[in-house]
Amino acid sequence: MNNVIRRLIGLFTLLAVSFGGIAAAIAHPHVFVAARSEMLYAPDGTITGVRHAWTFDDMFSTYALQGLASKTPGIYTREDLAPLAQTNVESLKEYAFFTFAKADGKKQRFNDPVDYYLEKTDTGLTLHFTLPFKAPFSTKQLVLEVYDPSYFIDFSLEKTDPIKLVGAPASCKMGIQRPSDGGAAKAQTMNEDTFMNGDNSNFGAMFANKVTVDCP
Amino acid sequence: MIRGSIATLSAVIARSTRDKAIQSSLLASGLPRRFAPRNDGERMPRSAALLCCALLLPLLIADASLHHALAQNPFGAPKGVPDSQVGGIIGWLLAKQSEFYRAISATIRAAKSDGSAVWTLLGISFLYGIFHAAGPGHGKAVISSYLVANEETARRGIVLSFVSALMQSLVAVLIVGIGAWLLNVTARTMCSTERVVEIASYGLIAAFGARLVWIKGRGFLRALRPSLASAGPQLAVAHATAHAHSHGHAHGHDDHQHRHDHGRAQAHAHTAHAEAHAHAPVDAHGHGHHHAHDEHCDHCGHSHGPTPDQLAGPGGWTRGLSAVLTVGIRPCSGAILVLVFALAQGLFWAGIAATFVMGLGTAITVATIAVIAVSAKGLALRLVGSRDGSGALIMRGIELGAAAIVLVFGVGLLLGYLGTEPVRCF
Repeated sequence: MNNVIRRLIGLFTLLAVSFGGIAAAIAHPHVFVAARSEMLYAPDGTITGVRHAWTFDDMFSTYALQGLASKTPGIYTREDLAPLAQTNVESLKEYAFFTFAKADGKKQRFNDPVDYYLEKTDTGLTLHFTLPFKAPFSTKQLVLEVYDPSYFIDFSLEKTDPIKLVGAPASCKMGIQRPSDGGAAKAQTMNEDTFMNGDNSNFGAMFANKVTVDCP
Repeated sequence: MIRGSIATLSAVIARSTRDKAIQSSLLASGLPRRFAPRNDGERMPRSAALLCCALLLPLLIADASLHHALAQNPFGAPKGVPDSQVGGIIGWLLAKQSEFYRAISATIRAAKSDGSAVWTLLGISFLYGIFHAAGPGHGKAVISSYLVANEETARRGIVLSFVSALMQSLVAVLIVGIGAWLLNVTARTMCSTERVVEIASYGLIAAFGARLVWIKGRGFLRALRPSLASAGPQLAVAHATAHAHSHGHAHGHDDHQHRHDHGRAQAHAHTAHAEAHAHAPVDAHGHGHHHAHDEHCDHCGHSHGPTPDQLAGPGGWTRGLSAVLTVGIRPCSGAILVLVFALAQGLFWAGIAATFVMGLGTAITVATIAVIAVSAKGLALRLVGSRDGSGALIMRGIELGAAAIVLVFGVGLLLGYLGTEPVRCF
């Protein structure tokens, strides 16, 4: 009797873990973003914020423009796109702007974005915005990660000069770690825990783009 | 936890091997065919195939975990060294589906000037559908669990998968057709619509799961009662035996021969009991089969219909329809994007065609998983339940568990704990 129930529980545990693991493993992006970012430093050497320029893929760019009015059909000026940019940055707040910063291991928070606008180029729609830190700080090591934890959006850093240090002390050194091209192929960076606890809320972390700035 | 489950699985497998030995020896001893499992020869390779499927799931996980172990610290690898691109089956699936997805937009653009590119588009969409559906959403879990929770055939699982995929495509076309094409609303508005539909879908899944749990829970309790009742007499018997033993012991103290005889008699009885025991379940199994067979023919021709006590109402199709509805009303975000993109390129019809072909691909994947789930249930039943007569209980237990999965899924999705692929509007 107990035996039967124990067996059933075993069976379902196995099933649940399999389902959870596989569901987590094969989450997939619908939006692709090519990111370019600048780390902003104050003259006193403190870090004040991050400036992003995110270019969306062709499909999503077109989708985002659906139904938007423009003065000249097919040509979208910054002014035409201003309401959309506004919506974008407001909505991004819910997702913590997909930007995660740590100073010497301590999480840093951002204020609401400033200086935001959208630009339509041949490659797609580019969202520019600046994320000011709650309070400027100086740190030995700053780690910045850009990714979507649910992996609905695939972020990849631009191929050339994706990260710039603006006004940083000369001694600062920057390192970039990408999930390599087509982050999608990088499922092996998943660790066992990701699978076993069935927690896929942070699935996207393994496709994170990691920027490290060391200022000794 | 995992290790325990795997141990359970191997125990189950070991059991089945034993069962087969018993069954074969019974066959050899010339037992009437009715008591022996039917088509034993065919069954063995099939169950071997099923076993492979059952083992595939943990393997998939092991595969990815191993890759992690083998590809330690991929970020830190020096630049010159080519990063191992193989992410196992999962990595490959991910890479493929991203590739196809991005190829879709390029192909739609190409189709503007070159009509033949539409064929390429359809081909890519089909493949994308197949790969894409392996990811979360698309109703795999719900449909599979529904099939397992009910007495459903693989054939019906396939039909349900195709109908729900078709419906998903249809909803996507409707949202974009009405929203973008007729009303020219913004993406934001459409996305909000998607979200509403999504929440409605999750609510339906939860409600559907709750209903299944209610029905299956009662079935499980019904199956549990006779088992509990039969556990009673067994206990009584054990008690009686113990009593007899102490009695025998008291008596046989000065009579060695008697004691020996008694011992032998006991051994003999034990053998006889073991035989009877072995006999009984096979008999029961044969009978069960026979019964199922009768039901099969009497009620519903080829498809396994609902057992009368499961659900009222004529015809199993209306019942299946609720499963289709719960998963079918939620369109795939990918399809919406493709449709809007196609519309913007002035090739809405190509987008619609691509969406339905994508749905076809999705259906194939969902149907495959549904069939595996249904087969796995049969396998589990045969492995676990055929020996000690607890088959009915196991069966109801599996069904209740599957029903619970639907409920947990629905509630989890609704509360956002399981937002495996949430619609993101920004």
